[in-house]
Amino acid sequence: MSDFGFHLAFWSLGAMTIGGASMILISRNLIHAVIWLVMSMLGVAGLYLTLSADFIAVVQVLIYVGAISVLMLFAIMLTPRAERDNSQNIKTAGPAGLVVLMVMIATMWVAIDTDWGAVREAALTEQARLIGESLIKHYILPFEIGAVLLTAALVGAIALARQDDEDAAVHAASLQAELEGEGAVDPVDVVDPPIAADASDSEATS
Amino acid sequence: MTIGIEHYLTLGALLFCIGFFIALSKKNAIGVLIGVELMLNAVNLTLVAFSRFGSAEVALSTQVFVVFIIAVAAAEVAVGLALALVVYRNRQTISVDRTTLLRG
Repeated sequence: MSDFGFHLAFWSLGAMTIGGASMILISRNLIHAVIWLVMSMLGVAGLYLTLSADFIAVVQVLIYVGAISVLMLFAIMLTPRAERDNSQNIKTAGPAGLVVLMVMIATMWVAIDTDWGAVREAALTEQARLIGESLIKHYILPFEIGAVLLTAALVGAIALARQDDEDAAVHAASLQAELEGEGAVDPVDVVDPPIAADASDSEATS
Repeated sequence: MTIGIEHYLTLGALLFCIGFFIALSKKNAIGVLIGVELMLNAVNLTLVAFSRFGSAEVALSTQVFVVFIIAVAAAEVAVGLALALVVYRNRQTISVDRTTLLRG
């Protein structure tokens, strides 16, 4: 790899990553923030390529750029009456900035000051095959635990996010009312009162 | 000057700090999640830099570690966004300043 091309790739991808992250900090609209997150993630994927980690770069594009950003956009769209603004909390921004500044100084000092030893010239080749083999052979237990974790997270997310029938009725009615321009409906009006009828029924039978 | 491991580690530290600040200071719950994602990405970048420039023994294991981190991050985002939806359904807001039910 030519030295100039490598420099150009590193600095432009680094600027893309840091610039995208800074724009998340600045932008006031949450949807714009997610789009800037996509740009930052793409920059990180390019940096993986400059580190000749091709498999990780492809996984990064597939999962972060493809899936997680779309999931976040869906979550924003599904919370329509929440605030779309992405602003900072004024009260906590000062102390948080102080803590972050200290962390930044410490980590950068370690990164620059430490002697990291000789640079290995040869990069890993055939990474997809090697990673797959070591996942099945050497890391089989963490692999299985990861599978269980993903299944549990999927089931948990569905269980949390799915609406009960009553909730769905209230939600649909309030949406309908909003479309007709009547504003929100009181939930009590919508749910037909089967509870009282059930109670009297059970009393009658007993 | 050649681009070495220090450059990547500094970049990762900077990205981590930006994500940390976003996660600590944003009002919106989804904004906080975005910050956490940036922090995880910075850690992944650092690990891949070690995989490229470190000794040959760690070259493979760091990349496997990165794959696990990505899987856990995907699970975390799915559950976090579902939680945000539930909070929105119950309280009509996902601002972390206004969901103070547990403050006592």
